[in-house]
Amino acid sequence: MEFSLLGAAAMAVGAFWLVLRWEAARANATGCTVDLWEAGLTAGIAGVFIGRIAAMISAGINPVTDPGQIVLVRSGVSTPAAALGALTVFAILSRTDLVAAFDAVAAAALAGLAGWHAGCLTSGGCLGAASDVPWAYALPGSDITRHPVELYAAVALALGAMAVATWRQRGRPAPGAVSGVALVIAAGVRLATEPMRVSLDGGPIALYVAGVVVGAAVVGVSQISASRSAGAGPTDAVPDG
Amino acid sequence: MTRPSVAAVLVGVAIVAASCSSAPSGTVGDPPPPATTADVEALIESGAPAVVNVWASWCIPCRSEAPVVSKAAEAHPDVSFIGLNVRDSGDDAAAFIAEFLADAPMTHVADRGGTIPVDLGGTNGVPATFFYDSAGELVELHFGAIDEPAMARYLDEIDR
Repeated sequence: MEFSLLGAAAMAVGAFWLVLRWEAARANATGCTVDLWEAGLTAGIAGVFIGRIAAMISAGINPVTDPGQIVLVRSGVSTPAAALGALTVFAILSRTDLVAAFDAVAAAALAGLAGWHAGCLTSGGCLGAASDVPWAYALPGSDITRHPVELYAAVALALGAMAVATWRQRGRPAPGAVSGVALVIAAGVRLATEPMRVSLDGGPIALYVAGVVVGAAVVGVSQISASRSAGAGPTDAVPDG
Repeated sequence: MTRPSVAAVLVGVAIVAASCSSAPSGTVGDPPPPATTADVEALIESGAPAVVNVWASWCIPCRSEAPVVSKAAEAHPDVSFIGLNVRDSGDDAAAFIAEFLADAPMTHVADRGGTIPVDLGGTNGVPATFFYDSAGELVELHFGAIDEPAMARYLDEIDR
């Protein structure tokens, strides 16, 4: 990993840790017994390297014959493979109380993503499509001003993390609903900011749409499940007297 | 320590699964012809925006960035992509092109001494990528392996 990306990684891990600590003092009484810090960090690291290996394979580079390239995450990480890899690893590590663990880590994960995007400040990759908005700025030596699109994503994800954390603290979300909303926020932010990015092929729009749809489905299923439980509850709870 | 072990096993499985894939094997063609600084400058000043990608077959990050360079060259046919092979043997360079850049619409030239990147305003470091506008002015010089967002952003600067 290049040094410029280390700053972004540090911001991501730091934001994840801070929100996890903040929530632990307030709203983490979910019955979750998983060490979220350890599981989240392990899943994140594993996801990055799984994504890197997938990118190497798609580029025709054999990870076994060229293992040194696995650390060159700057040269490309498959976002779908990294996301699925991280989620899979986290699910395995927290399999004893899966839903509670995902809900408990949701806000911290959004904060970590916000930190990663804000890491553009150290990696020098904040700018996206050309724009004339007053806060647009240019690459050094250029007169073309651009959207600071990575900062938009960082702010939106940070606000999402705050909203999710507040909801968990003050509301009574159905089990799984927080995870679903977090997925909708993460995918939705990328989807909304994609038109302000420049890319060689338009970006993985279908992946982000799928993320929003799956997240919404998770929220729907969790609400239905919770309402059924609530409907069955009073019948069982009728006192004998 | 059970949890990290599970993650380690998963990474290991992914690596083993990756070993089942095969790298593309293209037909090895002619080595890139030797060029001087003046030759490369003539290619840069052809009237179209130009990208000069400095690479070598022994350079590990060059293999990693080659798909990004190849994809960019295919996506921007109006930009002149020049591959500057430095401090390399002809056979190794030809094999690298066949394996990683066979489909890329690029013009490759060789600089056995590795002095041209310095003459163009860069360093001896490999890889490096120079971006020129249609007037032949250097707009951006990227050191190290380039990723897709950076490539797209710099191309947008020179190809507007």
